[in-house]
Amino acid sequence: MDLTLTFDWLGNPVVVLRQFVAGLSNGALLFLVAAGLSLIFGVSRIVNFAHGAVFMLGGYFAYSVVGSARSSPLMFAAALALATAATFVFGVLFERIVLRRIYRSDPAFQLLVTFALVLILGDAVRIIWGRDENSALAPLGLEHIVRIAGFGLSAYRLFLIAVGAIVCVALWWALYRTRAGVLIRAATVDREMLKALGVRTDRLFTLVFGVGCALAGLAGGLAVPVVSVGPGLHSQVLIDAFTVVVIGGMGSFVGALVGALLLGQANAFGTLIAPAAAIVLPFLVMLVVLVLRPWGLFGRPE
Amino acid sequence: MNTQALSAPRPAGLGGRIALATALVVAIPFAVNDFWVFIAIECVVFALYAATFNLLFGYGGMLPFGHAVLFGVGAYAVAILVKKSAFSALVALAIAPLAGALTAAIVAFFCVRLAGIYLGMLTFAFQMLAYTVVLKWYSLTGGDDGLSGITIAGWLGTPHGLYALSVVLTAAGIAFLWLVVRSPFGVALQAAKSNPQKSRAVGIDVARHQLLAFVISGFLAGLAGGLFALANQSVFPGWLNWTASAVPIVMTVLGGMASFWGPLVGAVIYVLLQTVLTGYTEYWALALGFLIIAIVMVMPQGVMGWFDRGRRG
Repeated sequence: MDLTLTFDWLGNPVVVLRQFVAGLSNGALLFLVAAGLSLIFGVSRIVNFAHGAVFMLGGYFAYSVVGSARSSPLMFAAALALATAATFVFGVLFERIVLRRIYRSDPAFQLLVTFALVLILGDAVRIIWGRDENSALAPLGLEHIVRIAGFGLSAYRLFLIAVGAIVCVALWWALYRTRAGVLIRAATVDREMLKALGVRTDRLFTLVFGVGCALAGLAGGLAVPVVSVGPGLHSQVLIDAFTVVVIGGMGSFVGALVGALLLGQANAFGTLIAPAAAIVLPFLVMLVVLVLRPWGLFGRPE
Repeated sequence: MNTQALSAPRPAGLGGRIALATALVVAIPFAVNDFWVFIAIECVVFALYAATFNLLFGYGGMLPFGHAVLFGVGAYAVAILVKKSAFSALVALAIAPLAGALTAAIVAFFCVRLAGIYLGMLTFAFQMLAYTVVLKWYSLTGGDDGLSGITIAGWLGTPHGLYALSVVLTAAGIAFLWLVVRSPFGVALQAAKSNPQKSRAVGIDVARHQLLAFVISGFLAGLAGGLFALANQSVFPGWLNWTASAVPIVMTVLGGMASFWGPLVGAVIYVLLQTVLTGYTEYWALALGFLIIAIVMVMPQGVMGWFDRGRRG
């Protein structure tokens, strides 16, 4: 492995800013995925190994609307809406048909069922969309380079950051300012108590799994112009989301946000400093966090 | 979970069953062609691998998400030693279990005090660390391509020789595990699983027992990985990826996690199903996915549990 460190890019503000924006926009996407994963774990204690596969599904849904040609803003919005809505429905159905029956089963069963979903979705996208790696373009209106203080930045990257910020605020509002949010946060602390108080926790579980999947689906749709949509898309996303959620704290909303932004930047600048070490570093940080503070930086010890 | 079945197998009929199994195992290579001998090796090796997982899970109550790292380290130990050093394949195979045990000791040192989900996540992180290093350290591991041309000289390198080697070492490994789970150590490990607080109160060092279980598991998983590397004559980084870690879990649940023999039966069924289904369809994973969901929902005690229930009437 090549472990030499490179810092000559530091003198070049164009590169620094470009990497920062790339890291921030990837962090925004990662936040959407990790927030859903964390929310689902917090409420139902299910570790959703299929979360990356749902992201991939969102990507394919969006791709099937926009295709490889440059799309109009309206078409692109429709693609994002489809990716979000379809993965929400998928999540709700999966929770109602399968997950609901195994909340009290051995954790190995819960793990296996979400893993089975990875296998099923992996082959399903091959059957429906083929084995090709597909790439799409940013929609009209977001395809250009924006000039800010003399620096050229990708409009689509800025758009990703904006969407990430809007969804983040909306999620915060939903979790901290609505009744459903209060119940969800209560469920992460004590599900049994919540049920004993007469709350229909089964509906809450369905809602949370659906919303978690929809967030991953939206992220998958948003990612279509910046990744290649293929059957292998799910794996790296899942690994990154696990890393974020473990470092930030499983079940913690703030942890998902901070973890995603950190990992986004670490990947962006790590590849400049030491490419080989950069992909190992997140796992090392994950190990250190688990050993010293297993509930994560922002989580709550059980 | 049915801990009764774990600690007290029916002694009657065991001798008969072992005799029958032995006769079957000896007859196989004379009855089938080389392709099926290779499949038989795969069955045997994965039976051992599944049993090492069950020592941690069924007996120790720990659910690692990264068990493949122990198998993969054994496989890569053999491959790297054969390709990059002067060691013969048999010496390399003798080192593979040590590599597995050492890796397990390191992983376990950090994770045995952690509660369920965090233990799983820590093993996941270790596995991804190992996977990434294997993928990127091209000069040593061959990266994406893996390493090939890992052969044993002489008769042991033929399909029949490899089969004999795998059967003998696997049988020894499984016999050892059988003794381990019945030893005072094994009983204490199961006690620690069902009630850690009470176990500590009666003086069982729970963490130390779990650590030793990890080391034994890693030793034999490393052996299984080493054997599989020799049987394939090659190793691939995918063997350490997170998706590979689900395989022993699937085998264990398929066969039945409440018994010693369940995971072994599950491993054989899994390998045969994979072999047969991939002959008919390229979408074997899809079928496996639906099968897993069906098993979890319809027969959570696995094939062995289903048999036992049938026998009781």
